[in-house]
Amino acid sequence: METITHNKYTVKKIRELTKSTYVVRMERNGMAFIPGQNLNLGLAGDTEKRDYSIYSRKKDDYLEILVKEVEDGLVSKQLKRINPGDALEVDGPFGFFTLKEEHLYSKKFLFISSGTGIAPFHSITGSFPEIDFTLLHGVRYLDETYEKHDYPDDRYISCISQEAGGDFHGRVTDYIKQHPVDKDTLCYLCGNVNMIYDVFDILKEQGVPSENLHAEVYF
Amino acid sequence: MKYHIITLGCQMNLSDTGRTKPVIESMGYEWTDNEDEAQLVGILACSVRQKAIDKVYARIHKWNRAKNQRNLLTFVTGCILPADREKFLKLFDIVFPMSELQELPEMIRQNGIVTPVSLKVVNQQEDLVFRNERVEQLKRSAAGLKLNEHMSDFWHINPAYESKFEAFVPIQNGCDKFCTFCAVPYTRGREVSRPSTEILEEVKNLVEQDYKSITLLGQNVNSYGLDKKGEEVSFPELLRLIGKMGKASGKEFWVYFTSPHPRDMTDEVIEVVAQYDCLAKQIHLPGQSGDDKVLIRMNRKHNMEKYRHIVHTIRKLIPRATLFTDIIVGFTGETDEQFENTRRIMEEFKYNMAYIAQYSVRPGATSSRWDDDVPKEVKKQRYHTLTEDLMKTSHEHNKAMVGKTYRVLVRGKERKGEFLSGLTEGRINVRIPSTDMSLVGQIVDIKINSATEFSLAGDLINQTELQSA
Repeated sequence: METITHNKYTVKKIRELTKSTYVVRMERNGMAFIPGQNLNLGLAGDTEKRDYSIYSRKKDDYLEILVKEVEDGLVSKQLKRINPGDALEVDGPFGFFTLKEEHLYSKKFLFISSGTGIAPFHSITGSFPEIDFTLLHGVRYLDETYEKHDYPDDRYISCISQEAGGDFHGRVTDYIKQHPVDKDTLCYLCGNVNMIYDVFDILKEQGVPSENLHAEVYF
Repeated sequence: MKYHIITLGCQMNLSDTGRTKPVIESMGYEWTDNEDEAQLVGILACSVRQKAIDKVYARIHKWNRAKNQRNLLTFVTGCILPADREKFLKLFDIVFPMSELQELPEMIRQNGIVTPVSLKVVNQQEDLVFRNERVEQLKRSAAGLKLNEHMSDFWHINPAYESKFEAFVPIQNGCDKFCTFCAVPYTRGREVSRPSTEILEEVKNLVEQDYKSITLLGQNVNSYGLDKKGEEVSFPELLRLIGKMGKASGKEFWVYFTSPHPRDMTDEVIEVVAQYDCLAKQIHLPGQSGDDKVLIRMNRKHNMEKYRHIVHTIRKLIPRATLFTDIIVGFTGETDEQFENTRRIMEEFKYNMAYIAQYSVRPGATSSRWDDDVPKEVKKQRYHTLTEDLMKTSHEHNKAMVGKTYRVLVRGKERKGEFLSGLTEGRINVRIPSTDMSLVGQIVDIKINSATEFSLAGDLINQTELQSA
């Protein structure tokens, strides 16, 4: 007999990274996903839902998402208040911001992120540590380099715009202008739309064909 | 007892209405065009624009007032956002996702409406317990259930086709693409493909009944099979099977599909359409914008390079195919320069038809949380500019058809004058000076003698010959 089921996932742990940014860990319930995909979720019983990229790795027995509390946010504020044992309603996985299997070990990847836009790359690089990648992470302050120890030192480049002490002082756009990208590199962009538009223009100017550009906009 | 249904929105809702009617009629209800004399009234809702949802609220308030005068049972189904569904639960007697249509008789029975026929639906105690439980679950969880969970049951329902020669065949439901301007993923649920055996059977039955125009329907029709990789045929393979069936039948008919998504539009789909006569040489390829950045903001998952490749492949493999598209002008943040890029593709791709919409906020869609920052006047201007661009290319195409003979499906009588109207295989309107209703539903030869931007006029070829004799 068929029954109507809800996509309820129990929260296991909340990990605070900054005052406003945190990782929500929940049970995996056997969900299969491709690193780079996202989930549509909200509090159980609530009609408001938002999309969050999966932060955890393919091999993990849990799911994680990286959340930044948004002022007036209908979901992120509620998520901040949840506790282990609470239920989330989760749908997914969705999305096509994923690496093609045939490219995994034959191509160079440049991952460009701003803020919590690093989430899909955390999942991708954690799931496929052998791939040839460079990860640019644009944030304003040093404490926003969320869990940078999860990435190899020689592959993670923090671009800090508001204070010194990062790998690069300035925005990711400045970094890319100073370090032109080879046109055969597969570029994956994730973050706010302004960063993506600016990077898109710079990469096009540098001769990277649009077929090598992939974007996931965070709204 | 009589019933009346109001269908709002797209072809999918029209197609769903064709499955809803026989379910209600199986309970002994009879259709009436007059909702004021119906005892059962329902709406197939559409959430694409707020206006459509406003119509639902207006109607249910009217019906609830009418309950003071007569017995009336109300239901709503179709595309409904979770927030509206919550409100509808308080206003309508019955709220259900279309995938639960087969439970409607039981839901009606639970509302105290019993007909001799409806009693037969639940003639076994075990079945009754199961159905009661399922309906109760539906009531409790209308806001959170998986919208597509029982689509397979829905597709088993034999539809009542509105026409004797044109039919819609649903092959896929739901959407996983999450375009930021659209709420369909939240109203229709995830992509679910109908079993190909059922699709082929329905198409075969239609062909045997001499249907001339069959449209395969889905929110992302060419994503067919992707949710059941390895267990179900792919979309091009499904088309191939239909093509082979058409060839074997020896009959003349045209199979269309809508709407495809450029992301999943493979060369193989175009190759198969080119290969079989019954697969209509008309492609609807929604572009939405000609600017890569706008496409990123729309979360379209295709770029202009990919789109251009598809159009070039169509032009190369099916030179006579007509090309239709959907465009949104004035999308949030669209600059003059970005709009100019859309104008450029209008010129480059020479569409035969473009359904151009001025962007409006669609509640529930991601973009509804953003400023609708392109002024109304600018949207209007862009709409008119693009329409004029379209008219130039479509007129050129239509003028080139003058003097040639085309197969045309005669669809009916025009409202004014003594004309019949029809569609070419490429879905261009044709006006025919005739009142011979026996031609309706037939594919006939028409010699085109004049063309406007969006239509053609022509004579039945035998009439022309008679005149010249």
